[in-house]
Amino acid sequence: MSFVSNSTGAFYERSLTQMSELRQSLERVQTQISTGVRISRGSEDPAAASRLRTLARTERLSEVQADNADKLARDLTEAGDEALGVANLLSRARELAIRAANDPAGASGRAAIAEELAQLEEELFDRANAETLTGEPLFAGTAAGPAYIRGPGGVVSYNGNNDISSVSVAPGTDLERGVTGPQIFEFDVNGTPTSAFAILSDLSAALQPGAPNPVAAAQAAIEGLDVAIDSTTRTQTVLGTRLAWVEVIQDNQADRALTVAEQQSDLGDTDLGEAIARLQQTLTALEASQASFTRVAGLTLFNAI
Amino acid sequence: MPGSLFQIGRSGAAAARASIELTAQNIANASNPDYARRSLNLRELVGVSFDSPGVLNGVRIEGVARNNSAIVQQQARSSASELARADAELAALRDTELALEQSALFEGLVEFEAVLTQLEGNPLEPALRTNALETARQLASTFQFANTTLATARGQVQEAASVSLNEANLQAAELARINQNLSTARPGTVGEAALLDARDAALRSLSQEVGIEATFDARGAVTVRIADASGAPGPLLVDGFTSNAITSSTAADGTLSFAVGSVAVSPSSGSIAGQAAALEAQADYQTQLDAIAADTIARANAAQATGADADGNPGQPFFTGTGSGDIELGLTTGSQIATAPAGSPAGSTNTTNLASLIASLGASDGPSANTDALLLGLSSRISAQDVTRTGLAAIAENAQATLLAETGVDLDTEAANLVRLQQAFEANGRVLQVATEIFDTLLSLR
Repeated sequence: MSFVSNSTGAFYERSLTQMSELRQSLERVQTQISTGVRISRGSEDPAAASRLRTLARTERLSEVQADNADKLARDLTEAGDEALGVANLLSRARELAIRAANDPAGASGRAAIAEELAQLEEELFDRANAETLTGEPLFAGTAAGPAYIRGPGGVVSYNGNNDISSVSVAPGTDLERGVTGPQIFEFDVNGTPTSAFAILSDLSAALQPGAPNPVAAAQAAIEGLDVAIDSTTRTQTVLGTRLAWVEVIQDNQADRALTVAEQQSDLGDTDLGEAIARLQQTLTALEASQASFTRVAGLTLFNAI
Repeated sequence: MPGSLFQIGRSGAAAARASIELTAQNIANASNPDYARRSLNLRELVGVSFDSPGVLNGVRIEGVARNNSAIVQQQARSSASELARADAELAALRDTELALEQSALFEGLVEFEAVLTQLEGNPLEPALRTNALETARQLASTFQFANTTLATARGQVQEAASVSLNEANLQAAELARINQNLSTARPGTVGEAALLDARDAALRSLSQEVGIEATFDARGAVTVRIADASGAPGPLLVDGFTSNAITSSTAADGTLSFAVGSVAVSPSSGSIAGQAAALEAQADYQTQLDAIAADTIARANAAQATGADADGNPGQPFFTGTGSGDIELGLTTGSQIATAPAGSPAGSTNTTNLASLIASLGASDGPSANTDALLLGLSSRISAQDVTRTGLAAIAENAQATLLAETGVDLDTEAANLVRLQQAFEANGRVLQVATEIFDTLLSLR
């Protein structure tokens, strides 16, 4: 008995396996092309799939952080606008104080100035209690607000706290939301703690008719107003710098998002050129093996006898 | 003398015709995978006498030889057994992968982190709080969904294992019956050859389900032991005319253990071994999934415990439950999410507590990192298993091809045999004709 024989069953089996393998790989390439996705399940490329998951997480969190950055930028702009308003207001108060300190205004003129100062103090109070677009107090720290309340006898006191919570605007980057009221409105003049409200209302009271020595009071107030303006300008700078920082982060995030998208595409998308070339190659191989199969299968000795 | 010539011609023609019949039988069974090629054993027939050089009596049919090679059969069986194990395990692991990937657990955890981060930007916004709450509810049901799909995948594997077990026991019983028939079959008959075919077919089917070690006696009866993973001789599955059933028992975590009679066995190959390995892997993934769920619950609840909600009340547990099967949302309204640190008044925009929850969830040993690790472990395992399977498939294919070359029918050889045997038959006919003519010549002598 000859040991080496070419069993007919083995031939058919082998041809079938080879052709079905080619067909399977054809179908896989075809799916890759039609879905545009290279990895349809993790086991096809575990490392890339894990990388894709991490990238998807980064992408999703970045979206949310970008929203947070937008909101923070709005809040900072808002606070900056209010600080600008406060600075203008204090400049006007200083003008009025200078005018009151220069005697020609006279008692009636001082009364008018006192009136205007009282109004400015009101406006300052309103600005100190300004809210964000979503209704939270701008200058109350993390407290629910209002930031400043007017106590008995018209004394304005801080109602918020000194906590500033921060918000995540980029992976690993937390920015403080804003500034607290005391950072703008409260300061020391010659070592004595006071507030912009106290300076304005004290000056306004000192300029009322019948008050003793209004000119000296006005001159004393100018010094306090200078410190108040300084404090406000400092806060404006802080807010402006922080806003600029947010913008830089937003730019960075936009670049990052691009990089993430690029990496996702590199890892997970079908390279069409390569896939089509591979499809063509496999197709040629399949056609050739089908053709040779039919020719070889037709070669049987039974045709000759 | 002419009588002897008749005898020689007749025996030759009979042998040639019997060979032609066998060739026809081979051709008819060319596509039967369980059929081993037959050939006829012939032997010269001579009469011994004391006074002459001997009497020639033609040819005798000794018996039907069945082409067989125990070693090649054994190789084909064991490689098919290994392949069946890899296939069964791979199929079950793929189901598991599908279950865990499609449950979108990772995406759910990322979304939870994302909505919490969003809430950090605007902590008192009721819409964002409700959104965070609903995403948390979605996350809890995603955990439950993953748990259910994993249980379904496990159920399917267990079902497949019980089918495999039944099939193995059926084939073992069949082999015991074949052993009995073989003991009464006459050697060299077509009946014996058919029984041997049936025996090899049953052994092949059996080894698909469970890896075996087969030994044969002189009559071809088989003794089957289960190939144990430890390498020690496994328990007897088929011994003479009796077969012992394999039994299985299911543990609480869904894994299977097997025994024959009272002897425990862990099959080294075959579908059953693959299914058992897959069930063990699934039990492991179940443990990991439950650990991730418990971790998520613990981290969220720990953060709630150190915080105050939007109304200034101490934070209540975010989730209830202990694992992926029973995780539920514990909060009822969005305002109960404790964004501020403990002791904060109502309406606090302080998000320190929320930030620590987000950091805790996103930590490198946090739930989303662990889920990624779980998926990566699973898909890497499948990928590696796929490589192993490809190798085993090549080996099994080779062994199968070798076996077919050894035992299968080659139609070209049979066609050539047909021509050769036809000529042999005609030649023997010619011998008979010559004998007749010689006889006639003798008779016509006057």
